[in-house]
Amino acid sequence: MSGIEIGRLLRSGTTGFVVGCRVSQLEAPSFGALVRVPLEEGYQVYGLIYDIHIDDDGLVRQLITAEEVPEEVLRDNRENRNVPVEIGVLALGYQEGGRIQHLLPPRPPLSLDAIYLCTPEEIVSFTGAGSFGYFRHILRDESKPVDELLAAHLKAAKEAQQAAGNMDWMTGALQELIALQRDDYQGLMNLLRAAGDIQA
Amino acid sequence: MSEQINPPSMITSGQIGYIVGGGLKANLQARLTVQPQSVQEGAFVVVESNGWLFYGLVTDLQLGSTDPRFADEHSASRLPPQLANLLHGQTLFTNLEILTALMMAQGPEPGTPEYDAWFQQVIDEQIRPEPVKTVPQHHAPVRLADAGDIAEIFGREGEGGFFRIGETLEGGHPVCVNLDKLVQRSAGIFGATGTGKSFLTRVILAGLIQRDKTSVLIFDMHNEYGPDDTASDTGLRVPGLRGKFPQKVRMVGLGRGATIRGKVPDYSLEIAEADITPDDVMMLAGELNLRETTPTTLEALRSSFREGWFHAFKHMRVHAKVENEEGKLVPAPDSVEAWALGAGVHPGAAEALHSKLRRLFNAEYIVEEPAANALQQMIDNLDNGQHVVLSFGRHETDLDYLFVTNLLTRRIRQVWERRTNDFRSGHQGAAEPRPLVIAVEEAHKLLNREMASQTAFSTIAREMRKYYVTLLIIDQRPSQIYDEVMSQLGTRITGWLGDADDIQSVLTGLSGREALRGMLARLQPKEEVLMLGWGVPMPILVHSRRYDDAFWDELKGKPASRSSDDILEELGF
Repeated sequence: MSGIEIGRLLRSGTTGFVVGCRVSQLEAPSFGALVRVPLEEGYQVYGLIYDIHIDDDGLVRQLITAEEVPEEVLRDNRENRNVPVEIGVLALGYQEGGRIQHLLPPRPPLSLDAIYLCTPEEIVSFTGAGSFGYFRHILRDESKPVDELLAAHLKAAKEAQQAAGNMDWMTGALQELIALQRDDYQGLMNLLRAAGDIQA
Repeated sequence: MSEQINPPSMITSGQIGYIVGGGLKANLQARLTVQPQSVQEGAFVVVESNGWLFYGLVTDLQLGSTDPRFADEHSASRLPPQLANLLHGQTLFTNLEILTALMMAQGPEPGTPEYDAWFQQVIDEQIRPEPVKTVPQHHAPVRLADAGDIAEIFGREGEGGFFRIGETLEGGHPVCVNLDKLVQRSAGIFGATGTGKSFLTRVILAGLIQRDKTSVLIFDMHNEYGPDDTASDTGLRVPGLRGKFPQKVRMVGLGRGATIRGKVPDYSLEIAEADITPDDVMMLAGELNLRETTPTTLEALRSSFREGWFHAFKHMRVHAKVENEEGKLVPAPDSVEAWALGAGVHPGAAEALHSKLRRLFNAEYIVEEPAANALQQMIDNLDNGQHVVLSFGRHETDLDYLFVTNLLTRRIRQVWERRTNDFRSGHQGAAEPRPLVIAVEEAHKLLNREMASQTAFSTIAREMRKYYVTLLIIDQRPSQIYDEVMSQLGTRITGWLGDADDIQSVLTGLSGREALRGMLARLQPKEEVLMLGWGVPMPILVHSRRYDDAFWDELKGKPASRSSDDILEELGF
């Protein structure tokens, strides 16, 4: 296993967790990216980045209200923040004993566990296992921008799958999403319009 | 729609859909998994479920959607084509409505020796399909019937009495009717004018004659079955039955010296005056506008002159007066009035009847002494395994048709009834009568509500095969035929009908008629017919067999003629 470490775990639960990272690490993670948290031997949790959050602190507030702040002060404050960038991750499944399950993880990751971006091979393995069972975790939480999150995920996963020669993956994924969402006309149309944007 | 909702695990070869609902009383509902245009109303389908085959007809196709908004919105204009196709495949669908009629335990795999043995048992009716008494399970696959399914239900051409009547709409698989069963009860061929009714009748009559188990008497009102004819629409020559079966078919003309389309018939039929009974006249009450006093007058005539009543009445004079000894004008002794006064009948009523019977008196086929006993000759022909086409020649009026068909049918039925009784009672080793089918055109004129109770035809229809005589009714207005007669018809073969009453009438007494009603109204004229009733295991829509040279070649067992292209190809060009 390899991949880019994007931060360490701040807090976690069964359905998701929050990762803290430095601003210098912020170029790697992106909205809709698949990440993994290796825990013990042979066990790791997979998740999808649904939010990247930058909180303010007291010094930022002062600097914003100050006049003529030197450029190096601004850069210093950005790069050496006291408060980390927070990345929200939705738990999608786990791998145990070499087998990927699209079920919520039995045990959540612990504080300060390292989080890695999935490589294209790992994306192919996770999204190609089973029959898109992890979609239900995404669709369940209406408080999140589900349409945009799925569109971003589909774009990344499609590229990885097609690079691996799986040209039909996207069609299967869309069929599954339509089947899951066809009782929600507006939700499905929003989702498809978002998916249409990534296909265009 | 590029695809349809379909559980992938359920797809089998040839499948067109799967069961999603319905019931035993209501029709089954199936979700279509192929393009709607690949299945048409009337398609014969098979549902496979847990070792059982359910046979049914598609009676409706309905467009549906998981949410009405998916159907209302034209999403193809808002989404990329590939996405729109995926969406439509999952949310828009077509449902089939299937009228199930029969079910049968699934047999061995076709092509195996076990299948052949099993199929023979089906043909021999040791294993037979049963009426549907349960339903297939959810998601049971639905497929179009193949040739084997059709043969299992409708028989295989050439075996026993199975005769190909046409092909299924999808696949063109042969559909047969069992001629031996068809003639066990009266049958009807219906269809509006110009829908191919006469051609279909020719096909069936040719099959019956070729089968040679039954004699056929055809009342050919319009001279189209015996002699060669020319099709009114195509102008092509249409072979007559006489020319195709010269040894088996006798063509009889009505009246001395009759010619049928320029051809001299085998013999002519004349009716002896002594053969006419008052009942024969009463059946013409509507046509001759007879009064209520007519039965009394006829009865008095019969009492006065016995069998010679018609001859005597015909030769009475009307309003003839003579002077008596006292010089007064009194009715002449040979006048109607004189007879009426003597017989105690109102002279005015008798004279009115005489006037109304003038059309019969003037009929040239009614004679005092026929040159030959043509009626007996017809009966002998039918007895000897020949078939008779009685062509009416130039006597094409309703009066001629009603009078002659009624009189002949009554006489023939009496003969068959007597023979049947002799046979059943073992009288002097009497032989079993040969079954007889009487084909009647324009049947509503003979079997309407007013006439039905009086004619021999309705008696035959009710008796079924008790006396070995059944009817083949050919008509364009089945609604005009008395309900009681219609309900007795075993097999009904019908082409397109436009009138709602006619459609209702054809479906009288059949289950599932609501579903079949629309199908009947949408039949393709000259191409499609619906077969239903007792003589066929289940209703089926058939692309009817063409009555052409190929038909005769097949019937007579000649090899199909090869096209010039085939011959050239064989020669290496």
